[in-house]
Amino acid sequence: MQHVAHLDETAIEVANLSHIYAGAQGTVPALEEISMRVGSGRFTVIVGPSGCGKTSLLMMLAGLRAQSQGTILCHGRPISDPDPKRVGVIFQEASLYPWLSALDNIEFPLSLRGARERETRQQRRARAEAMLRLVGLEGFGERFPYELSGGMKQRVSIARGLVQDPPVLLMDEPFAALDEQTRMTMGHELLRIWSTMLKTVVFITHSLTEAVYLADEVLVMSARPGRIIDRIAVNLPRPRTYEMMATDVFGQLRDRIWQQIRKTP
Amino acid sequence: MRLPAPATARRGMLVALLLLWELVPRTGLLPELFLPALSSTLAVLWQDRQIYSAALLVTLYEVALAMLIACGGGIAAGAVVGGIARLRELLLPVFSSLYAVPIVILYPVFTAWFGVGPESKIAFAGIYAFFPVMLSTAAGIRTIDPQFILAARSMGATLTQQVTRVIIPASLPTVFAGLRLGGALAIIGVVVSEMLTAAAGIGYLVTLNRTILDSPRVFAALLMILILSVAYYMLARAFESRMVVWQSAGRSPKAAQNESAGVPVSVAV
Ligand SMILES: Nc1ncnc2c1ncn2[C@@H]1O[C@H](COP(=O)(O)OP(=O)(O)OP(=O)(O)O)[C@@H](O)[C@H]1O
Ligand SMILES: [Mg+2]
Repeated sequence: MQHVAHLDETAIEVANLSHIYAGAQGTVPALEEISMRVGSGRFTVIVGPSGCGKTSLLMMLAGLRAQSQGTILCHGRPISDPDPKRVGVIFQEASLYPWLSALDNIEFPLSLRGARERETRQQRRARAEAMLRLVGLEGFGERFPYELSGGMKQRVSIARGLVQDPPVLLMDEPFAALDEQTRMTMGHELLRIWSTMLKTVVFITHSLTEAVYLADEVLVMSARPGRIIDRIAVNLPRPRTYEMMATDVFGQLRDRIWQQIRKTP
Repeated sequence: MRLPAPATARRGMLVALLLLWELVPRTGLLPELFLPALSSTLAVLWQDRQIYSAALLVTLYEVALAMLIACGGGIAAGAVVGGIARLRELLLPVFSSLYAVPIVILYPVFTAWFGVGPESKIAFAGIYAFFPVMLSTAAGIRTIDPQFILAARSMGATLTQQVTRVIIPASLPTVFAGLRLGGALAIIGVVVSEMLTAAAGIGYLVTLNRTILDSPRVFAALLMILILSVAYYMLARAFESRMVVWQSAGRSPKAAQNESAGVPVSVAV
């Protein structure tokens, strides 16, 4: 099944979100008055200095952590618990389970609810295999994570995040651990997959090039406590090509993001 | 020239050792009282095979029960201590410091409580082997990558599923390592306590024959203990590598394959 994207429809709506961590050495204000709206089917990239609360924000969007204040609506409904049918999460470290084969890893989320939903083992397998094909790893299903390269592992992670067909995909620096070449290829691959599935993506990165290359819109966050200090629309045509990186527009967009980040202390 | 593969080298070393065992006493380098020749040791082992196999059965029985106590109790206690932060902070330092205490000093107390029969050996060896199993289980659970659990939660795993599908498989390698050590310690515990006070078992045969200076029979018993421990270790290793392929193979899949197939590594290229 494919989700038809209506670009005017809101996928994620965050209003006045603040978060304060209560630690042993006092409280840490991590996020302050975050408001944002992500249109359905849009590719949104969040950048900001290290420790500004990007991961925290993503965890809250995923329902993995509760915010101190403010509301998050995902397709109109609050997200209080992780809901893999609405939101898929892909982490930086390929958090694949080393004791499962690539295919079993992809099938893992399906197997969690196997008993509850009338889906046979073969149907689950078929879905997992389709995902494996989508990320270009056909024939590698029986391999264990230790037998895969970093890039391949992240492909498996992406397949695992997509297998339940959630309309929203959250990605926390998914390619940060990869070398530059693999990283570029993976970004390109991600765009290819995204364009066929029309998911809403929220993507965190430290790489400005990656941000401009991937995004419809870049949100720039300030240093802690994290606030959104700029929203930059990237109107480069799609499909994006490597050649675009050499254009003036690309460079100007990247500079603008850098200026914003540099301003923050 | 190529060096022999480790497996071949190990086999060669074993053969050399056995040869030395036979030759050193035969050539008179060491008197037979200190080191009886391998052949005379094997001869008495065969001659007294009924005595030795009966003793082996007693020892095996004690070892099995001690392992059961150590492994069952150790895993359960380790899971509780490792899983609950409060308990961990409270107890782990205590257990870790107890680890260094030579528990054998408690053995006289155990004989007073349980008598000189198998019970005192089982209890002593069980306790002796309990700690490493518990500590490694606790460590195994504590050192699970929190990312594993976070990912499971994001995929909608219930608490039970987080335990059965993530925490248990993720801690298996450390638990198995603990079991391997625990089993070996259970054997040591049983044999040592048999040597101290007993009326049966292989450890008892060592002590008995030593007091009457019957060296070949002492060495026959030692040989059986040696074979028992090595057999256990190899069994545990085989079981472990079957259960956690991803752990043992993860380091160097090529080398592991070659070794198991008996192919020298250098031929592969
Ligand atoms: N569980 C926690 N308890 C207390 N403080 C936390 C917790 N998680 C994060 N923080 C603090 O909140 C701030 C934001 O952390 P977060 O991980 O969200 O930043 P980030 O933007 O993702 O950083 P990076 O770019 O390095 O990944 C940091 O100062 C961090 O120390
Ligand atoms: Mg982060």
